[in-house]
Amino acid sequence: MTAEVQKYTFEQVEALELAPGSEHEDLEGWVPTLATDAELRDALEKALDYRGDVTLTLKSGEKIEAFIFDCKNGATLAESSARYYTPAAPENRKVCFAEIARIEFTGKDRAAGKHWEDWVKKYNERKAAGETNIGLAPEALE
Amino acid sequence: MGTVAGYVLKKRLSGNKRYPLVLMLEPLFRCSLACAGCGKVQYPPHILKRQLTPEECFAAVEECGAPMVSLPGGEPLLHPRIVEIVNGLVARKKYVYLCTNALELKQRLPEFTPSKYLTFSVHLDGQREHHDFSVCREGTYDIAVEGIKEAVRRGFRVTTNATFFDGADPGSVRGFFDEVMDMGVEGIVLSPGYSYDKAPDQNRFMGRARVRRLFSAILSNRKPNWKFNMSPLFLEFLMGKRNYECTPWGSPAYNIFGWQRPCYLLQEGYAESYKELLETTNWNEYGVASGNPKCANCMVSCGYEPSAVIEGFGSLKGFLAMVRGTFSSYRDENAVKLLDDSVPQANLVQIEKPERVLEETNA
Repeated sequence: MTAEVQKYTFEQVEALELAPGSEHEDLEGWVPTLATDAELRDALEKALDYRGDVTLTLKSGEKIEAFIFDCKNGATLAESSARYYTPAAPENRKVCFAEIARIEFTGKDRAAGKHWEDWVKKYNERKAAGETNIGLAPEALE
Repeated sequence: MGTVAGYVLKKRLSGNKRYPLVLMLEPLFRCSLACAGCGKVQYPPHILKRQLTPEECFAAVEECGAPMVSLPGGEPLLHPRIVEIVNGLVARKKYVYLCTNALELKQRLPEFTPSKYLTFSVHLDGQREHHDFSVCREGTYDIAVEGIKEAVRRGFRVTTNATFFDGADPGSVRGFFDEVMDMGVEGIVLSPGYSYDKAPDQNRFMGRARVRRLFSAILSNRKPNWKFNMSPLFLEFLMGKRNYECTPWGSPAYNIFGWQRPCYLLQEGYAESYKELLETTNWNEYGVASGNPKCANCMVSCGYEPSAVIEGFGSLKGFLAMVRGTFSSYRDENAVKLLDDSVPQANLVQIEKPERVLEETNA
């Protein structure tokens, strides 16, 4: 986060007409290389931002399906940890960065797709076809 | 108002610099709508199935001590124990704003008891066609209005809350204000949309300059029957008449993950306690003055209304400005021109424009 601050001056911010939207990073299916500590930290930062589950393989060989929602970055990997929910357990859990051997972005990215333009196009097509009660529905909870 | 004024004064006298005004208590993320501008509900099913227990809600409320509690989400009425949560908060004399899309409000009203502490804050983004298009489902406006009318009839406090995105037609918004005041609501709540990076639509979030023009057109030359359930100073901020820095700790957010860092809108991890949130968040990295691009276009009420409330109740000058704002119609001929010049975007639903003249207001 710290590296991003001071990107805009106050005058630039005040003059903004349209807020620059975020570019959605396509991470679904990604398996990052974790050769260095920096690569592991970067991958976990992306996992924290990812709206889907990831699969963590620990150095012990254990595999964990996890939705990561918090990372605490310490000076070393041993002092850093991530908190997550796993589908099978009611409580959240914590894993030390130093225990992680592999990260796979295995879960569906729930923030991908469903653009406004798609909705407008679909609405207009269905309206033209004479449909009523047109709408988008939330995804099923499976 | 008296409760909030007393709370702010007490905090100031005790030298407390960071204190909460409204707890944004999200009991669940599950929702019955799939709005394109919302970045709050995109989670895997096992996360959407989780919810806070009433006990967790009460503990969070007592831990932070805010006098007001907003229950957004997700759709709070989908929580199977929402009545218990609301009753517990009311028993603690917290002013509760249950934010709902009102799809189930009418049927659920018999389960709730009217109280001065409980307000249903119904999500309505504009007139029928605009609202339905904004929430991506036809028919929702009519269902919500039925809920509002029934809630008013049963003696509940009701407000509407609207979020506006690029392309909003200010003339239609003013027509919408007439409609909702005729429904008997206590007041209107409104805010520009925040550019959630997880929202499906990333192209309709307004920058600050455009927000100010839009809200100047909407909120100038007010009609006498319009009531806003918001700080008049915050509305002046939206109109570009005053400037504030963000007060992110003013509306802390608590949900199944814990205390959201740093605010209700950004999601940079979670603290395990409110104290940890306050003490370990680097607040200098947020707000417009920080230059943080994630804060660049934000003029949302959860960050800036606390700034306005603290000014309004924190000094005689602020209080007098608030009183003036409450009774002013904000007569402004340039705003009439802004209304006439506004061209709704072609991809949005078009509603016929009424002729707009300054004389239609109480100016």
